[in-house]
Amino acid sequence: MADYPFIRTINGKKYFYRFTVNQRIQHLILAVSVVVLVLTGMPLKFHDTSWAPYLYALFGGIQAAPIVHKVFGSILVILFIFHIFYLIHIIYRGQILPMKKREGLTVKNVLLVLVRQPLVPNLKDARDIGDLMKYLFYFTNERPKGDKFTWKEKFDYWAPFWGMVIIGFSGLVLWNKEIATTILPGEALNFSLIAHSDEALLAALFLFIWHWYNVHFNIAVFPMGNVFITGYLPEELMVEEHYEYYVKVMTEAGLENEILPPHESHEHESQHEGESS
Amino acid sequence: MKKFMFKIYMIGFMVLTVYFMIMIWNVTFAHIYEEYHNRQEIEKIVELKKTMQKKAKQTTFEKIIIQSEERVKHYLGYRILDEARIEGHFHHIGFDVGPDNRSYCIDCHGDIPHDKAKDLRAFLNMHAFFISCQTCHVQLEGDKKTGVFKWYDRGTGEIIPSPVLTGSPGAYRAKIIPFENVNGKPMRIDSKERIAFAKENRERESELTEPQKSKAKKIIHNIVSEKPHICSDCHQKDNPLLPLASLGYSQDRIDLILSTEVVGMIDKYTNFYMPRMLHPGSPGNGKE
Amino acid sequence: MSTTYIRKFRYAGIVMFLMLCMLAGTSASPADASDITNCLLCHKYPGISRVDEEGKLRLFYVNEDVFNNSVHMKVKCEGCHTDIKKIPHDTAKKVDCLVECHITEPSTETKFSHRDVATYLEKSVHSTKDEKGQPKEFAEDLPSCKECHDNPLYRPLSFFKSQTPGISEDALGRCRTCHKKEEFIYRFYNHITSRLHKTRIPLNIAEVCARCHDNPDIVARHNLSTRAAFSYGETFHGKAAKYLSEKIPDCLDCHVKKGTSVHQMLSHEDPRSSIHKNNRSNICSNTDCHPDASQKLSNYAVHAEFNLEQSKTHYFFTLFFIMLTGGTLLPLMGIIFLDLVRRFFPNASMKRRKK
Repeated sequence: MADYPFIRTINGKKYFYRFTVNQRIQHLILAVSVVVLVLTGMPLKFHDTSWAPYLYALFGGIQAAPIVHKVFGSILVILFIFHIFYLIHIIYRGQILPMKKREGLTVKNVLLVLVRQPLVPNLKDARDIGDLMKYLFYFTNERPKGDKFTWKEKFDYWAPFWGMVIIGFSGLVLWNKEIATTILPGEALNFSLIAHSDEALLAALFLFIWHWYNVHFNIAVFPMGNVFITGYLPEELMVEEHYEYYVKVMTEAGLENEILPPHESHEHESQHEGESS
Repeated sequence: MKKFMFKIYMIGFMVLTVYFMIMIWNVTFAHIYEEYHNRQEIEKIVELKKTMQKKAKQTTFEKIIIQSEERVKHYLGYRILDEARIEGHFHHIGFDVGPDNRSYCIDCHGDIPHDKAKDLRAFLNMHAFFISCQTCHVQLEGDKKTGVFKWYDRGTGEIIPSPVLTGSPGAYRAKIIPFENVNGKPMRIDSKERIAFAKENRERESELTEPQKSKAKKIIHNIVSEKPHICSDCHQKDNPLLPLASLGYSQDRIDLILSTEVVGMIDKYTNFYMPRMLHPGSPGNGKE
Repeated sequence: MSTTYIRKFRYAGIVMFLMLCMLAGTSASPADASDITNCLLCHKYPGISRVDEEGKLRLFYVNEDVFNNSVHMKVKCEGCHTDIKKIPHDTAKKVDCLVECHITEPSTETKFSHRDVATYLEKSVHSTKDEKGQPKEFAEDLPSCKECHDNPLYRPLSFFKSQTPGISEDALGRCRTCHKKEEFIYRFYNHITSRLHKTRIPLNIAEVCARCHDNPDIVARHNLSTRAAFSYGETFHGKAAKYLSEKIPDCLDCHVKKGTSVHQMLSHEDPRSSIHKNNRSNICSNTDCHPDASQKLSNYAVHAEFNLEQSKTHYFFTLFFIMLTGGTLLPLMGIIFLDLVRRFFPNASMKRRKK
């Protein structure tokens, strides 16, 4: 951990540590395999469009593309299983084991730990969405003051999580139809196909539009956010999206007097205008 | 400058977002509407079925003309035969001859213009595929006559060297055009001015008065002679109309075109049908 | 729907380049093999055509190269067009496909005719008459020969070292040792190797069936439960067919009992039919397809459509995902849009306006 100080200052700019190497590698594998899976899957779903045959030909057409799809599907399934173990591991090592030593293990305590995980949606997210609406409809100039993970990021986490369960399971059923139908009725294949392709469409559009907008194409980040590579988030984005968390970590680090004011698009922009005129 | 670029970027992204919304609508909720609509259609047909009726055929231009052409690709493994499909047609066509982009006539009369002489029209249309209309329908006389005929490309309209030796018969993607004598020089009869005149007439027809329309029509057709050249003007050994050799025909082909087989067939036609052919549209014309 | 369905097949991927080789591969065939009476003197000209009184294009052109690569290459013109005796000829009659066409069937040495095919067709679900011999309702919707067939083209295979499309020169060399007539060798080779696999690829078969079975009018008039080629096109099999796979099953593979004529297609209600619920499981577990498949695999609904009438469970299951996808994405798109607007006009305010 020594290599990764929590707040790093480069050229006077502060950067906040957010993702470990392990997480970043997981994310990279996820990202690459999802892109390949979408590119090899969507030409089948949209077989009647003009672009589909060219895209499919790029992956070797009907002879090779299904194999590519299965290979990357397998990678994703393995990643998912790894991620579950990873989750269990860090929660057990980080929180449950100390608790066991401290006060003993009860079901209630374990559940509380799980519910209080930073990525589990909570009431604050509902409030933040309300605040965001107020902000977007010009009732206020203050952006919602996000915690460590905002509702958008929780969405970004749980949507693929749920997607991987649905798509992964239905994909395995479709792949191993002979074995699957020894247990399941034949109609399960129909339902698997619908679930697999529709859920994939949702996931693809969600990731390529919503997620990419929020982390790359948004003008606050444009042309590209690089936290997924470096693991460090620059201060201005920290202020904009995670203000509550920002104040907390700055206070903990003893930098109270360096805390920036909350991001206000109104003031910020008028300043620029003042400069240019 | 940077700020300006960001503004453009944001407007672009807004448009993109709206596009995405339409796209998402189309791949999601639009299906529900489509399914409902299809079921309604089927109910209508089933309702008609009770009285043994069929749904009336759609009579829009789009349905009858635009959507009537179909193409099929036959995948033969070593080759893809991509051709137009004519309903109920058995033999394969195998290739496409592109439209004649230069012709003075076919924009109005079409590529298959002959219709009146019922016994001969297929033959005439066959010739119209590689012989321009003016070759037969304009009889150049006196000092207008040059005796020069050349090939022009159907696609570009340009004069090209003879395609006869390289192409298969009648499928040259080129047509023969006569040249007329203008101030001592042989000029293409389908001059750019004439084509532009006819084109303008088509485009501005709706704004013309009735006498103007008639006048335009007269002028466009004034080069057309009353009686066209007939088969035997070319298919005869003694001074045929078209200079076959200079059009690039080999001696074999010339012999065939002027052979007793062809000439004899024309003779038969002349004996049996010609009297009627010269009076198209008269009663008793054709056997269909 | 049917026309748009067919229009969707407009691509061929990179294989398009093969088109350039079009005439090159076939010109080996001996010219005018069947044109003894010199019909091609006129009919080789592609322009020989007219538009009839109903506005229908009548094309009298015969592409010799393509014809000589078709199964009818040895049949003389007048073998089918029997009413034409002289040149020039009058308007020819419609060809009767069941005519005896001067070809001798080698195993029985009788004159060849397609009459048996017609007998099969009469016994099939596509017969124009019902079991009692009465004409069916809307019998004119039902297919005759030319509804499904144009002139069938050879699809030869070469088995030299590996199986590839086309003709193996090595094999032809072997033929030439004993057989002297080039035309015979060519025809025999094509006939045998074309018959060893499908004469048309799954995509072409689906297109043929689609002409009627995707026509919503015909589907509704004949109480069919699905636009068959459309719903097939939504399965993996159908999609692979559109990407020109030859390994996947087409309509005929499931709807015709193995070893019988495809013309004897039967209704799924007929106990003799391959798709009758008692026989269905044998289709999927065919050794070429899913040999390990259990009985249950065949309960897979191949022709499932998003249609409330056809299947409520499918309808609501799909509906759930449509709602989920649209219901999730559209609000998120709205937020992106508003976010852009918010950043574009940072100085506007609802509060100020209220004041």
